[in-house]
Amino acid sequence: MTRGIWTRETVVLMLLASYLPLTLFWLWFGGVEALLRLGFVALVLAFWNLVFLLARAQPISLAFLITALAVAMLAPEGLGVLRLALAISFGAVMGELVFGGWGRNVVNPAVVTLSFLGFGFPGFPWPELAAPVTWAAIPAALIGVATGSMSLGVVASAAIVAVGAVATGALPPTVAPVAGIVLVLLVADPVTSATTLFGRWLNGALYASLVTLFAGGWHGAAPVQVAVAAALLTSLAAPLLDEMALGIWYEQRRRRHGRN
Amino acid sequence: MQQGAALARLHKASDVCFVAPMRARVARIELLQGHRLAEIVLFREPEDEAVRHDTSGADNEAGLRRLMQTAGFWPWLRRRPFGGMPGADERPAAIFVMATDTSPLAPDPRMAIEGQEEAFGRGLHALTRLTDGPVFVCQQPGPPLFDGVPARGRLRSVDSGPRHPQGAPGLRIHTLFQASIEASVWDLHAEDVAHLGALIATGTLPMSRLVSVGGAALREGRLVRTQPGADLRGLTHRVTKPGPHVVLSGSPLDGHPARWLAPRHRQVTVLPGVKKGPQRHWLIGALTRSAAPKPVIPNAAIDQAFANALPAVAFVRALMSGDEETAMKMGLLSLLEEDVALADYVLGGEMHLAAALRAMLDRVRSEFAE
Repeated sequence: MTRGIWTRETVVLMLLASYLPLTLFWLWFGGVEALLRLGFVALVLAFWNLVFLLARAQPISLAFLITALAVAMLAPEGLGVLRLALAISFGAVMGELVFGGWGRNVVNPAVVTLSFLGFGFPGFPWPELAAPVTWAAIPAALIGVATGSMSLGVVASAAIVAVGAVATGALPPTVAPVAGIVLVLLVADPVTSATTLFGRWLNGALYASLVTLFAGGWHGAAPVQVAVAAALLTSLAAPLLDEMALGIWYEQRRRRHGRN
Repeated sequence: MQQGAALARLHKASDVCFVAPMRARVARIELLQGHRLAEIVLFREPEDEAVRHDTSGADNEAGLRRLMQTAGFWPWLRRRPFGGMPGADERPAAIFVMATDTSPLAPDPRMAIEGQEEAFGRGLHALTRLTDGPVFVCQQPGPPLFDGVPARGRLRSVDSGPRHPQGAPGLRIHTLFQASIEASVWDLHAEDVAHLGALIATGTLPMSRLVSVGGAALREGRLVRTQPGADLRGLTHRVTKPGPHVVLSGSPLDGHPARWLAPRHRQVTVLPGVKKGPQRHWLIGALTRSAAPKPVIPNAAIDQAFANALPAVAFVRALMSGDEETAMKMGLLSLLEEDVALADYVLGGEMHLAAALRAMLDRVRSEFAE
């Protein structure tokens, strides 16, 4: 009779609201060039969403704007239109649309796009984000957690591990801010991160640990590249983390109730 | 018929009776196909006169069971897994007395049993004779609702939070003593326990219950004492706002449109009628509706909708994909439709979780329990 509001599109709108400070700061420092890049990525994604709407009757979700923002912010520079369009098409179609659209995907389409670009065109320089833009990740995370669209566990555990790693000198201070942006844009994505309470804490901690590991052991890699690679491996590991958390939960219940 | 006289008996267990809630005349009996009973409509008769049952055997378990069944108390019990009235000779592993009701617009059970504390205590002690396991009294934080020596430590008072669904019976059972196919768990309302105490003392089962009448289509809400099966139009007469409206038996979350108050319900909700918007273009409809339901996006709202008692997203996914074994491991057998009603509401009503849960429970019953 009455209906609540937490449908797929509400979560997308809340995520978009939390990315607003990040987007504004990035556009402010990037100027018209950044705006054009965002518009182009959004256009390609909109095209593929439209194709899947007409061919497979998959309703369009505004989530493609989040993917567009992540790709436009983090993709290597100077790629040209064709290479970028190719990578976005691969990421959006193989990462998200063939699984049935946003909410049924296993990996984040932006992560697939960025990894594709990293492996396919390694010669192009990764972007360097201005310091104020990286600071804008903090309000983004706060809004996301407050509206419940990002999980507190992922963000908090990643922050705790990262602070510890920076304090001990394991994580260079140049990588940490970029890792924060990737955390907010890609890792904290509610669909591809872990869904259980403990799994989320593991998820954030694993991401921060991988970033620390890559930053220390991967010579010559740009901070964005390090963070995106860590995000890819983390999202692939998310179902495993969930399974571990569920295993622990089953065992706890079996001990308490003596049966499953 | 006198109040408390048997109107109908179960075919396979003739002790289990459905009784008249007041002195009344049978107006109409409706049968479904195959002579299944649909409803018996009664007209009230003026004088109050009630059947007195023999309470001499209430000290032992067999006598108490017989008294509860012949006096019409048995249908007020509900069993898990699968829901519904327990079998005539079923023995539960635990009993939950719900002295808290957190669903929206629900009446406060403490108010319902005010002045009947002695009968409530007597009813609780009687319940301990029906099971070898614990009897939990779920209540809001505050002074305990019963005193005296707990029966060999089996009578336990547990506090639950004030927000829905922290006091939902299914989630309390899931947390404290989960039901399984071999070990069923019963739950009943605190007011019914007080009535059981009165039945044991006097031989007459009181039929009144505290019912809240509320909802957005009413000029004012009210609390009334009425009987199970009361006419909902009578209860909402003169307080309904003009215009189309829907009368539900039950809470706004899990109620269903009805004419009569359903057996275990203590709420009547009146909601404004929903106007149908203009019809969408057929092409837009074809493109957007064919992929329904849309996937569940994990967020804090859905975790809260199960009071963080179980891995919410994993459970919803298991439910929607028909994965019975995973759902059973996560606590499916302790839950009924009303426990997932909030999650259904929160997710926008697209998922039809209650229907999916019922379908899965029916499948589990046919595969594992029969």
